[in-house]
Amino acid sequence: MTVSLTIENLSAHYGSTQVLKDLSLSVAAGELVSLLGSSGCGKTTTLRIVAGFLQPTSGHVRLGDRDLTTLAAHARDIGLVFQNYALFPHLTVMDNVSFGLKQRGVAKADRLVRAGAMLERVGLSALADRLPSALSGGQKQRVALARALVIEPPLLMFDEPLSNLDAKLRVDMRVEIRQLQKANGTTSLYVTHDQEEAFSISDRVAIMNAGRIMQLDTPEVLYQKPANAFVARFVGFENLIPLTVKARDGANVTAEAAGGASLNLSQDIFGAIPDRFMLAARADGLAVKAVAGKGIAATLGTRTYLGRAYQYQCSTAVGDLVANGTLSEPLEPGTAAVLEPVAEQCCILAPEA
Amino acid sequence: MNKFAKWGLTLPATIAVIVLLLVPVILTIATTFDEPKGPFSTYAAFFNSGFRVNILTRTLRIALITTSISLVVGFLAAYVIAQMPGRLKSLAIIAAVFPLLTGVVVRSFAWLIILGKNGIVNDALTGLGIIAEPLSMLYTEGSVIVAMVYLFVPLMILTLTGVLEGIPRDVIEASSSLGAKPVATFLQVILPLAVPGLIVGAVLVFTGSFTSYATPQLLGGERQMMMGTLLYQRAMVTFDWVGASTVAAIMVVITIAIVAIMSRMARRLNPMAV
Amino acid sequence: MTARIHPVLGILTGIVFLFLLAPLVIIVGAAFSDTSYLTFPPRGLTFHWFANIFAIEAFRTTAVTSLEVAFLGTGLSLLIGVPAAYALNRYRVELPKWLATLFVLPILVPEIVFGFSLLKSITIGLGLPVLPSLILGHALLVLPYSVRVVGASLAAFDFSVEEAAISLGCPPVKTFLTVVLPNIRAGVIAAFILAFITSINDVSVSVFLTGPGISTLPIQILAHMEQFFDPTIASVSVLLMLVTVGVMAIVEATLGLTFLTK
Repeated sequence: MTVSLTIENLSAHYGSTQVLKDLSLSVAAGELVSLLGSSGCGKTTTLRIVAGFLQPTSGHVRLGDRDLTTLAAHARDIGLVFQNYALFPHLTVMDNVSFGLKQRGVAKADRLVRAGAMLERVGLSALADRLPSALSGGQKQRVALARALVIEPPLLMFDEPLSNLDAKLRVDMRVEIRQLQKANGTTSLYVTHDQEEAFSISDRVAIMNAGRIMQLDTPEVLYQKPANAFVARFVGFENLIPLTVKARDGANVTAEAAGGASLNLSQDIFGAIPDRFMLAARADGLAVKAVAGKGIAATLGTRTYLGRAYQYQCSTAVGDLVANGTLSEPLEPGTAAVLEPVAEQCCILAPEA
Repeated sequence: MNKFAKWGLTLPATIAVIVLLLVPVILTIATTFDEPKGPFSTYAAFFNSGFRVNILTRTLRIALITTSISLVVGFLAAYVIAQMPGRLKSLAIIAAVFPLLTGVVVRSFAWLIILGKNGIVNDALTGLGIIAEPLSMLYTEGSVIVAMVYLFVPLMILTLTGVLEGIPRDVIEASSSLGAKPVATFLQVILPLAVPGLIVGAVLVFTGSFTSYATPQLLGGERQMMMGTLLYQRAMVTFDWVGASTVAAIMVVITIAIVAIMSRMARRLNPMAV
Repeated sequence: MTARIHPVLGILTGIVFLFLLAPLVIIVGAAFSDTSYLTFPPRGLTFHWFANIFAIEAFRTTAVTSLEVAFLGTGLSLLIGVPAAYALNRYRVELPKWLATLFVLPILVPEIVFGFSLLKSITIGLGLPVLPSLILGHALLVLPYSVRVVGASLAAFDFSVEEAAISLGCPPVKTFLTVVLPNIRAGVIAAFILAFITSINDVSVSVFLTGPGISTLPIQILAHMEQFFDPTIASVSVLLMLVTVGVMAIVEATLGLTFLTK
C-alpha cells in the first residue's frame, strides 16, 4: 500500500517565535523527498509535527485520505529513523526490531520470523542477541532502519540519520537506505543539512529557510536553475552580480554592472532577461582572462590550486568575486584581468529586494 | 615526582580513613569475639534474647516498609517532575531539596506536633467528633514509618528525577512512533530503564532507615526501639559496651550485605552494561 | 524524557509535595504560638519562644560549637579530600581501584556505628578531648562529599589544560591553584555546602562524641525535648530552616539547584 503525504498550510510556534510559516508540501506515493536546510530552518519541526510529537498552530497533515493532524503519535503508523538511533538500550537487537510488531499484537512466533527476515535484509542476523551498547554506529543505524521498516509503515521518515557516522559509512548507508526505500516503494520524508546527501538520495528536495520552503524540485533543477538568490547561494553560486539592461538587439542583451562593466548575454541561452536582474555564477562560471576583453575588470588576489584549475579571489567594482583561470597560464596576485561569464554555467535571477 | 604526587596527595585522606574509621570499627567488631564465654557468645546471647531479636526484625520490617513506600511515592513524583517545564521543575526540585537540607531532628520533630496527643490530627478528629478521646499515635511503628518516609522521600525524588531525566527523549518517541500506547511505553521502556536508579534509591533508603537513630528515638521511644536506639541505649545508658558492639557488628554486616547484593543486582539489571 | 502527564498523576504529585512541605509550615506556625505547649494552628502570636532560645545559655553555646565543628570539620575534609580527589582523577589509571572505595567508606559504615567506634577508640582510648574528637569525626563523616563531589568536577576537567600551563612554565602547585582550582570551583562550593549541612545537622555521630559541657545544637535540641515540650524547639527549628534557606539561596546563585539531581 503506497500513499501520498500532504502537508497543508502548516504553521508552528515555539513560544512567540514562529518556526514554520504556512508551509505546504506533498510527497507522492513511493517518492522520497528531502527537507534540506541549516539548523533552525524548520525542517526538524516539520518532521516532528508529521510524527505527532509537536502540535502545529494551524494546518493539516494527511497521509493518503487519513487526516493525522490531531492523531496521537503512537496511532500514526509512521516509521521513524532517529539521528541518535534511539535504540532501546535494555532490549536486544531482535527485541528492538520486533518492538513495533509487539505493539501491533503480532504473535511471538510471527514476530521472530518477520524481525528475523528484516535483520537478514540489513545484514545483522548474526547480532540478533546483542544489546545496542555492543554495536558500532553503522550497525546501530541498520537496527534503527530495520526497526522502522519491519512495521511496513505507509510513511518512512528520517531525521538526519547519517550525521553521526563517518564519511565512508555515510555514503554506503545512504545507498542502502535508498535501495531499501525503492524496493519497498515506501513514501519517505528525509531531513538533512547535508546537500550532497539530500541530492544523492532524493527524488525531490525542498530547500528550506526560516520556516519556509524556498524551492522544491529535483536535484538537477536545483543545482542548475535555482529559483532565487537564497537557493543559488545554497547550491554554491558564489558570485551574484546585479546588472541593468542597457540595450536589447533581438535575442542579445547588453547589460551593465556597477562600475560600468558591460556584458553581452543571449536570451537564447538564459530565456527572457528582465531589465534588472542578477547573474549567478560559480567560480567555474567566471573565466579569468589576462587579455583585455568584454567582461568585469578585476585585480587578482590570492591564487589557490584546485587541481583542474586555479582559483582567484578578485576585487572588482561590483565587489569581491571568485573566478577560475586555466592551468596553462598561472597569474600573479596584483595582475589586472578581466572576468568573462561562461554562459552555460550561469543563470539569471530576479534582483534581491 | 609523579610517583610522589599520586601517592602523597592521597596519603592524608587514606591515613584519616584508616586511623579514624577502619581501625576503630574493626576494633569494635573484634571485641565482640574476644569474650570469656567463647568467640560467638555475645551473638548467641543476642539471638537468644526475644527482646533483641524482636528489635532486629522490627528494624528490618520498618526499613523494608519505608523503602517500599518511598520507592512508589518517590517514583511517582520524580516521573511527574521529569516532564515538568523548566521553571516549574526548578520549583519542584527546590521543594524537594529544602526538606532534605533541613535536619533530621527538625523533620522528625514536626511529626511530634502532628501526631501528638494535642497534635493536629487528634485536634481535627476530636473537633470533627469522629473520636471522643485523642488517639495515641506516637511511639507506634506507624509513627516511626511515617516520619521515616517523610525523611527519605526527598532523597528518592532527587535520585529518580536524575535517572528519569537521563532517559533520552528520542527513545520514548521511538517507542510511540512504533505504535506503543503511553502505558506500554511506560511499562516496556521507561520502567526497565529506570531500574538501576530504583535500586540505587532503594539502597540509600534502606541503609538510611535501617541505621537511623534520631527518628526512632523521637517517634518510637523505648517502646519501638530499633537497632540504632538499641546500640545507643546499650552503650550510653547501660554501659554494656560488648552488647553495643555486638549490635554494631550486626548492623555493619547487614548493611554491607544489602549494599553488596543490591549493587550486584543493579549491575545485572543495568541495560547499558555490555 | 517528555510525555503528557495524566491529571491524576499530577494531583497525586501535588499531595506528595503537600506531605513534604506541610510539616515544615506547621513547625513555623507552632513557633509563634502563645501557648506553653506545642500546637498548630498557633493560638495567639508571640516572639517569646524566639527570645527564649537566646535566653537559654545551652542553645547559645551549642550553636557556637556546632558552627565551629561544621566549619573546621568541613575545612579539614576539603583539605585532605581535594588532593585525594585530584590524584584519583589525574592518576586514574595508575592508582588502585580500592583507593576510591576507601574514601566512600564513611557512607557505607552506619553512622551510629562509626560514632560509637570513635568514642571507644579516640575519645576514651586515646583520651582526645571532646571538641577535637567532634571535629575529626565530622571531617571523616563528610569526607565522601569532598572526594566525590569535587571528583565529579575533576572528571569533567580536561587535564591537557593543566599540561599546557606547565609547558608554558607554570610550576605544578601554582598551576593547581591558578588553573585547576578555578575550573572546579563549582564542585568545591557544592562539596562545602553539602558537607557543612550534613555536619551541622548530624546526630548519629555527635550523640556519642559530645560530652558534659560541650554539645552540638541538634543534641541539645534532643535533650531539651526530653524535658520540655514547648514551642522553643519549634523556634530553634525555624532558625535552622532560615539557615537552610540562606544556603539554598547561595547554591541557587552560584550553581543552580538542578545540580543536585546530577
